[in-house]
Amino acid sequence: MEAVSETDVQFWMAKVVNWGEATSCSALLDTSRHLGSLRSFLQQVLQGLQQMSSTSEAMKTFPFVGQFLGRLCWNPCVIADERSQRLLLRCLSCLYSAEPLNAVEQKANMWIKNMLCHLISEEEGSVAHATVKHAGLTPKRYHSEALQKVVSLMTEEVIKSCNGLPNTSARCSNGNIYVMSTACAALVTCPQMSPLIGALLKHSMLCGTSCLNQEFIKEVSEALIRLYLCVFCLSLLHSKRLVLEDEAVVNLWCYSPSCLEGAAVSLLESVLSDHETMTQSLDKHVNDSLLPQASADHCHIFLTVSEIYRNVLTEIDENLAVRALIQVFTVCFLQRLTGQKTQDRLPLRAFFPHVMPSLLPPLLTAPSEVPREAWLDHLIWIRSLLQSVMENEAGEDVRAYQAVFQAWFLLVQCGYWVDTAAELLVLAAPENAEPLLWLLTFFHHPTNRGHQRSQQTAEAREAWTHLRMLFLTRPPPPRHLSAVKELLSSSLSANLVLHLFLNFTVFSHGPVSIINEINDKVLTEAAVKRRALWILASIRCRLNSAATRDDRVHSRLRTLQDTLLQT
Amino acid sequence: MEAVLRHLTNILELLAVSQTDHVSEWDRHTTLRAFQWAEYCEQLHSRFQCNPAVRSALESALSDTNQRLQQALPSCSPVMFSELAQCQHMLLIHLLTNPSAPNSVIPILFPDPKTAAQDSQFDQNSLITCKSAFNLLCRTSDRTSYAGLHVEAVVRGKLLGNLLNSVLSRTGNDEYARTLLDSILHDSAGKPESLYDVIAAALLSPDDETNSVVPHFILAWLQEQDGCLSKLCKSLSPGLCTVISRQSREFKQAYWGVLKQWASCLEFDVLEGLWVPTSDEPVTFIILTDRFKELLNSGPPLKEETETELKTLKREAGDFNVKGICIWTDVIIQLKL
Repeated sequence: MEAVSETDVQFWMAKVVNWGEATSCSALLDTSRHLGSLRSFLQQVLQGLQQMSSTSEAMKTFPFVGQFLGRLCWNPCVIADERSQRLLLRCLSCLYSAEPLNAVEQKANMWIKNMLCHLISEEEGSVAHATVKHAGLTPKRYHSEALQKVVSLMTEEVIKSCNGLPNTSARCSNGNIYVMSTACAALVTCPQMSPLIGALLKHSMLCGTSCLNQEFIKEVSEALIRLYLCVFCLSLLHSKRLVLEDEAVVNLWCYSPSCLEGAAVSLLESVLSDHETMTQSLDKHVNDSLLPQASADHCHIFLTVSEIYRNVLTEIDENLAVRALIQVFTVCFLQRLTGQKTQDRLPLRAFFPHVMPSLLPPLLTAPSEVPREAWLDHLIWIRSLLQSVMENEAGEDVRAYQAVFQAWFLLVQCGYWVDTAAELLVLAAPENAEPLLWLLTFFHHPTNRGHQRSQQTAEAREAWTHLRMLFLTRPPPPRHLSAVKELLSSSLSANLVLHLFLNFTVFSHGPVSIINEINDKVLTEAAVKRRALWILASIRCRLNSAATRDDRVHSRLRTLQDTLLQT
Repeated sequence: MEAVLRHLTNILELLAVSQTDHVSEWDRHTTLRAFQWAEYCEQLHSRFQCNPAVRSALESALSDTNQRLQQALPSCSPVMFSELAQCQHMLLIHLLTNPSAPNSVIPILFPDPKTAAQDSQFDQNSLITCKSAFNLLCRTSDRTSYAGLHVEAVVRGKLLGNLLNSVLSRTGNDEYARTLLDSILHDSAGKPESLYDVIAAALLSPDDETNSVVPHFILAWLQEQDGCLSKLCKSLSPGLCTVISRQSREFKQAYWGVLKQWASCLEFDVLEGLWVPTSDEPVTFIILTDRFKELLNSGPPLKEETETELKTLKREAGDFNVKGICIWTDVIIQLKL
């Protein structure tokens, strides 16, 4: 099986000859445009070389490799890109023979040593060489300082040209910006570059025309996404650090919709990938992603992110992790929104354009802003509004269905009210339970798939009854215990039952020992525990922003989370 | 101190050996130890670079050892104190360029990037990245927007200025600073024009314009080198010389001195009716007047000062108003002052 195809070899050889030392603007542009695919090709070449048993064999199988790698070593655009550089050096390292057996291998060694020499030092007799030699610093420090200086000079230049803007009607007069951003495409992962990258992004925001190189935008957005994933997955081994100021990141999102999408998706992926950490600190994590703040400042960002998460939910609507994320994201967003100056604030309608406007006031008001005694009435109000939306669904019209879906999605976003309903159910009298149960059922089963609505409602009431008996009677009757377990394992309303169960655990007034006993008996399976953690994450986020803090509840929550995480 | 001098001698011997064929006997252990010594040497440099007393002791030890080694191994090059900061790098280059270096040694010095730790002693990746990033960025900024200088010269000049500033900030280091500039001049003999650009940037470098230590020192050094100042002024554009003159009184005076010297090389050819050069200096009347024109276009106070100077020169030379007798008269007439 051939590692590299002949057509690819011809293509890339022609390219590297054409690029030369990338001294011309067009060569630089072309190199930067092809950096990504060049890396893939280098990866293939490396894999091919790794299969070889000796350098002689490698030179026979890949006769182009000497010229190819050699020319690339003279192209600073390629060398400056950390990933390509590493691949190149690894290829060279493959071709080096620690014990050369013939003239070919010896020559190859000499040639590789020359290349390495060229990479780490300057041409003798040049001013560069002389100034570095006597600088009193190691070459590494000298070049690091030199890079910092050139970045700051160029950043100043960009900022100066920004000061003439915004002037959206005039074309960006600084053609140099485009060339600079082309060079920067190779350099996004270099930490010293962030001031310049930030300045270029800011310039693009003010300039209003696309004066930045597309490759550059793509590279910056990919580097940012990798950074998110690395930070969130706590694996810093291969992290590519790109540290930009918050403002630059938001500018990037405004400039590049695909970049914004990437950020939203990577937030989701990071949340789903590590439930242990995420369920502990979901709100901090969401805020760190900058998306809530950016959404509050730029309506279109909020709309894009909501759209993405809404689409995800239609694919996997039973996923509690996604729901928790959406709920927490909305809370963080609303908090940022209230932090804005009144004159800058857009009406809420702008952020939720598709949903029935009358739903916005009750749902977007946080429970912490409503007195506890009024919660039940508030929830009844929400329920009646939702019911009126559903009444129009009767005709099975697509538009009617969409209206219900939008209303349901808003309920998911404002899931703290559903959590509140569940909390109230713990202590509610039977005559008040109906609207609360309705809300819970609607939240977990928005569609009337297979006309199961009545059965679901019945199951909800049944679960609630059993749970009340279980938590209010001492000792906990085994009959109700097994009934609850039974309901938890049946797939129809498992999440709803779990939701209720956990609220009872956290909010009921019984002694801790009894409650722990019940938990141990009921929450036994790993899958159930994981889902429980997500529900607790939403409860915790709501309690964090509550008006008053109830220590008893918090410690219950803490104990329960710790137990669930233990196994 | 004894021990330090002994160590220094050891290192120089190591560096010398690494350039000869004796290096073929080096194994992994020897190589790693050599680099350890080299690292120690770099620390010596950084500790004592600005300490005149210790440094001169080290310098004389270096000089003795250099002499001794030159006799024994004529092919190896002498090492200056300033180079000790890059001892490991020098050693690495020697091993890469010496055909007798054992083949097994190179993989030790360039470990596989995948397996090696990021800040291992032999990690060259950040050097290579910074160096090529610097080169790349310098290329993209090809507009000469820094007083007519290319950005690479500006950066190197600033770094040079910083180096001189830190060396000169302690007393007793003048001689050493001079050696540094001498060495740089010597080592860039291939391309003096680029060096002049860097020096110009160094003259402009202090961000704080009241700090004239570095420009003063550089000017004094330039004037010590035979013809250097004149070559520098010739190489730099009229616009750049004007910018530097605006920033540094001293340079302004020195520049005028150079222009006067150039003027003295011109003679009036009665037949042609022109001022023509008499020596090998490629200075013509036009070049001279262009230089003054640039100075006069710069605005106050340099404009007024230059006018005054020209008028003084004319007066001192006899105050002629007719062309062809005194060059200053003709310059003034040419520039329509």
